[in-house]
Amino acid sequence: MPFFKRKKKENDAKSEMQQEVKKEHLSEQIEEYLSKLENAEREDEIPILNMLGSLYFEMEDYDHAITYYEKSIDQNKALGKAFTDLVKLYNIKRKEASKAGDRETVQVYLQKSDDLMKLTKDTIRGNM
Amino acid sequence: MAVIDFIINSILTQASITIALIAFAGLLLQRKPFGEVMSGSFKTMLGFLVLSAGSSIIVGSLLYFGDIFSEGFGMEGIVPSIEAINGQAMNDLGLANQIALTFLAIFIFNILLARLTRWKYIFLTGQALLWMATMTTVFGSAAGFSGIGLILAGGLVGGIFAVAMPAIAQPIVKKITGTDDIALGHFCTIGYMFAAGIAKITGKNSDSTENIKFPKGLGFLSDTYLSVAIVMVPLYVVTSIFAGAEFGTELSGDVNYIVYAFLQAVQFVVGVYVLLSGVRLLLAEIVPAFRGIALKVVPDAKPALDCPVLFPYAPNAVTAGFITTTIGTVIAMFVLPWFGLAMILPGMLTNFFAGGTAGIFMNAVGGKRGVLIGGIAHGFFITLLPALLVPHFNSLGFVNTTATDVDTVTAGLLFEWLIHPIMNLFA
Repeated sequence: MPFFKRKKKENDAKSEMQQEVKKEHLSEQIEEYLSKLENAEREDEIPILNMLGSLYFEMEDYDHAITYYEKSIDQNKALGKAFTDLVKLYNIKRKEASKAGDRETVQVYLQKSDDLMKLTKDTIRGNM
Repeated sequence: MAVIDFIINSILTQASITIALIAFAGLLLQRKPFGEVMSGSFKTMLGFLVLSAGSSIIVGSLLYFGDIFSEGFGMEGIVPSIEAINGQAMNDLGLANQIALTFLAIFIFNILLARLTRWKYIFLTGQALLWMATMTTVFGSAAGFSGIGLILAGGLVGGIFAVAMPAIAQPIVKKITGTDDIALGHFCTIGYMFAAGIAKITGKNSDSTENIKFPKGLGFLSDTYLSVAIVMVPLYVVTSIFAGAEFGTELSGDVNYIVYAFLQAVQFVVGVYVLLSGVRLLLAEIVPAFRGIALKVVPDAKPALDCPVLFPYAPNAVTAGFITTTIGTVIAMFVLPWFGLAMILPGMLTNFFAGGTAGIFMNAVGGKRGVLIGGIAHGFFITLLPALLVPHFNSLGFVNTTATDVDTVTAGLLFEWLIHPIMNLFA
């Protein structure tokens, strides 16, 4: 049995290291896209904002992910990854608040989900 | 004694006051500031009275439509509208108090079932829950339930639907969204599963709808009120022409009978507009309260959200499902009367939301061909089920209308076909 335990520990250490390397790589990418965003014209910003949202989501930095995705949707209400990721992000934040017993924040994220549903309906109507 | 009599006979029989008191209790339970409790309760009462006003407008217009349809075609023409059913049940059948309490009971049963079973779904679409409460109360009452028994029976059936429907849809929702974190909370799920079943059989190896290029400009059809008007105006006008000038003028008085028919059709749309505004006001205070409590009691719950949550995953499928479902409802409108059933006119609002969401389900399992064939079958299915309820609605005194949303219709049929006979055995 100790043998298995050791192996598990080794595996944990390995995956922790992998995580760190991944996070470093993601941070580098984020830096790169942030500087792209600074120099971008307004009409070219949307793919960069979506990429930043996606990278922060992968980093598990949910607040920043939400900020960039919301900025992207503000500029262009096209249905796509920004919409679908935001639903997941709001749900994650709602769940965290729920576990912490923070009723106010639960309501905030439920309201954000509602607004997103409404936006989805309106966007579909505009797109048809 | 006189005071108690006054409270029971003059205050609690007024549904708008009882509903406001329910909201008052709910807001107090949440420990909201006194100002919010008062404004929330008042808005709830206002919402109910606006809903009643909308219902009266709809009923007036439907009575006129029933007359000209019978004269013109010698048969019944039924407008599918869950809003109209809700309005008539609350207003004319005097079931408003029971519906409001059943609505709360469904909330509570939903939380209990999510907490105690492995179906961890909290149904967050308030409007759909109100329609479900309406149906379980109307058909529960017809089955012989009354008082607290009616509220508990309706609440239990509604609560089971609230967790079971998201659970049934979840395998396909997972396939569409790629995640198990969110669920679908829309009471048209039996239709979605039926449509997906047909699409799976017929659409093997078919390409996705997302590769189709749809022409722009269909958007106006999906506008909530415009889409109702697009169906109702020609329907009223053509029917009035068939009914003839002589009969039409009897109802229209000094106004030209075709112009009168046109205005009555617009009145129907106005009724739906007013009624839905009332529903929004009514639910705005009660639903957020419930959601907060529910998600606190069951923190690991999967929120079952309204159908637009799926729209971003396959926007083309929404359009395709809407069109094919509409074709199916038009076919069913002509075919069902051959089998002795009522003529159910297409309900464009349901066609858009239920048809569109069914489109996403069908595309996920059967691609383009699946959406085409499955959508037509879906349109037929969502017309057939409400048609089966028409005789029961007629006997209960509803005017020229039937329910939409197949899950709520199924709940009604469950009471009518299963629970009612069982109740009769014990009666």
